[in-house]
Amino acid sequence: MLYWEDFTIGRTLEFGGYEVTEEEVIEFATAFDPQSFHIDKEAAKDHYFGGIIASGWHTGAMCMRMMVDGYLHDAASMGSPGIDELRWKKPVRPGETLHVKAEVLDRSLPKSRPELGFVKFSHTVMNQNDEVKLTMVSSGMFLRTPEEK
Amino acid sequence: MDKVYFEDVSIGDKTSYGSKKVTREEILDFARKYDPQPFHIDEEAARKSIYGGLIASGWHTAAMLMRMMVDCMVNKRAGLGSPGFDNLRWIHPVRPGDELRFESVVIETRKSTSRPDMGIIRADVRLFNQKDELVLTMKSTGMMQARPE
Repeated sequence: MLYWEDFTIGRTLEFGGYEVTEEEVIEFATAFDPQSFHIDKEAAKDHYFGGIIASGWHTGAMCMRMMVDGYLHDAASMGSPGIDELRWKKPVRPGETLHVKAEVLDRSLPKSRPELGFVKFSHTVMNQNDEVKLTMVSSGMFLRTPEEK
Repeated sequence: MDKVYFEDVSIGDKTSYGSKKVTREEILDFARKYDPQPFHIDEEAARKSIYGGLIASGWHTAAMLMRMMVDCMVNKRAGLGSPGFDNLRWIHPVRPGDELRFESVVIETRKSTSRPDMGIIRADVRLFNQKDELVLTMKSTGMMQARPE
């Protein structure tokens, strides 16, 4: 189990392998972001992006899934207070395979909550050719390592 | 109906919209796909967690906000997507049965220096639940077409 103490500044983690399918791009966007360039293959061809692209929120959600599978499933994760900065660098298209590089930027211990700590990460989502698709600076909350009894 | 172009948007413009009712099934469905942490997918584990019950993935909350923004605003605009957002804060957990609504205020409008046919709009976005508790805040950025000559 990974606790707050395990996320030392400068530590990097690499994980992922998320295959983006057209079906999933359309399904997500139909529910949450029904703009033509996300859901309509014909309209998307004539659009600025030249073909269907994933909703940026879908790319964020796929990043989240890779984070859970990559390290959060094995961490004493207590959720997140938020995202300082997120940039959609390039469109994500069906057929691409995404992976993530995470780095610990900073960490802190709140005085009010002795049982947990904050970790600030950068996450970079790339495709199979290492083209950068999304960058994000965000924080997570993790439990402290339990004291040996 | 004529599209809303960059020139039609002014600093101080306010939009309010909602509500969107959040169901347990949607929370579980989203989190199983994109954020399978115990407090999003496992009622029993969620009860014992710091959240005291099942809560929506923060990405799900953001995606529901996006859907409301598309329905009332984005699909009326000559939009060109978004480069990202800043300072997203998940302030209050979203739970089954909650009803969400949002307010946004335009805080900046500027013509793109590199692309004169395009403008950039920034807004303060706030999401509330049915008790008027602030659930999420962020500063959004969108790109829009300038009105054709």
